[in-house]
Amino acid sequence: MNAPLANPGRDFGQQFEFSIGCVPLCLEMSDLRLYGAALARYAAFTSAAEKPIHIALNNAAPPERALPDFAYEFEGAALRAFSSDIRFDGVRNQYALDSLVRVFLSWKLLEHQGFLLHAATVMQGEKAYIFTGRSGAGKSTVASLSPAGSVLTDEISLLRREEGGWRAYGTPFWGEFKAAGSNSSAPVAGIFRLLQATENRVELLRPMTILRTLLPNVLFFSADAEANRRLLEILSRAATEIKGYNLSFSKNAAFWEVLPA
Amino acid sequence: MNTPAAMTWQKNPELAWREIDDQTVIISPNDSVMHELNDTGSFLWKNIDGIKSVGELAELLVENYEVTPHVALSDTQALLEEMSSRKLVATVAETGVVLP
Repeated sequence: MNAPLANPGRDFGQQFEFSIGCVPLCLEMSDLRLYGAALARYAAFTSAAEKPIHIALNNAAPPERALPDFAYEFEGAALRAFSSDIRFDGVRNQYALDSLVRVFLSWKLLEHQGFLLHAATVMQGEKAYIFTGRSGAGKSTVASLSPAGSVLTDEISLLRREEGGWRAYGTPFWGEFKAAGSNSSAPVAGIFRLLQATENRVELLRPMTILRTLLPNVLFFSADAEANRRLLEILSRAATEIKGYNLSFSKNAAFWEVLPA
Repeated sequence: MNTPAAMTWQKNPELAWREIDDQTVIISPNDSVMHELNDTGSFLWKNIDGIKSVGELAELLVENYEVTPHVALSDTQALLEEMSSRKLVATVAETGVVLP
C-alpha cells in the first residue's frame, strides 16, 4: 500500500490522494486540520492514480461559470461538480467532509455502473456477501459474527458492474465498528435482505423483489431526472443479474451455514 | 369524477421508470418516492404517449386482456386518475403541449 501523499499543491497547501471503489480522488486543501482528518479517515484507501478527480476543498476563489452538473448542500457544507472541476466548500470538520465524499461518490459511480448501498459486505471463500436492511436489521451484527478481516464494511457497501459481473468494494464508511475500512474487493455472491427471525433460513427472491429491496437502501442525492434514470437502469440490472435472498436471521454465527455457496 | 374518454394523457417527464418482472417501478426524483404498477398498469403506462386518448387506451386493454369495453374504460379512467393524483401523468390540456 502506498504512503499517504502530502505534496505542495497549486494554490493549496496539501494534496491527499485516495481511491474508493476504484474511483481515484485527490483532495486539495490548505487547512492542515482537515488534511489530518482526511489522512486519518481514509488512511487505508490511499492511492496514487495517474488521473485522480481533483476536489478543491474550501478554496475561497469564487466560481464564475455555468451551473454545476450536480450540487448538494449539507449543514452548511456545499458540493458543486462542474465539468472541469469539483469543489467542496464550507467544510468545517471530518464529518462534513465524509458526507460530501459519500454524496459525490454516489453521483460519480453512475459513470461506472455502480452504486452505494446501506449494507454490510463480508468476504467468504473469495466472494462478497451483501447484507442489507434498514437500521437495526442486523448489518452490524452480521459483521460482528464474521471472521476478523473478512468484513469490508458494516454500513455502506459499494457495488460496481465490471467485465460482465458485479464486484463489491470495501469503503471507509463504517457504522458501529468505527473502523478504518478494508480497501479490497471481491465478486458478489448474493444480496441478502436481513429479516429478524428465530431460525436462520434463506429464500430466493425474484428480481422485482430485489429491486424493491435495493431502492430504499441506495444512497443517492440527485433530483435530476436523467441521473435517476441511469441509477434505476443500474439497479434494475443488478436486480436481474445478482441473486438475491431473504435471510431470516436469528443473530447467531450459524447463519453462514444456510447461505448458498 | 371520470376522465372523459376523449381526453389525452402523458407521462410526467421528470420521472424515471423501468419494467421488471412484468411490473413497472417509477421513481419520482423530487421527493424520492417509489411507485409500482402491476401488469395492467404497466401495460397502460407503456401506451400513455400524449397521443392516444383514454378511449383508445381502453380499446388496447380490450384487445390484450379478457375484459369488456365497459370495464376496460372504467379501469383505465380509474388508473389514470390514480396516476394523476400521484403526479405521474398529466393531461395534454393541462400541460398545453405533448412532451417528448
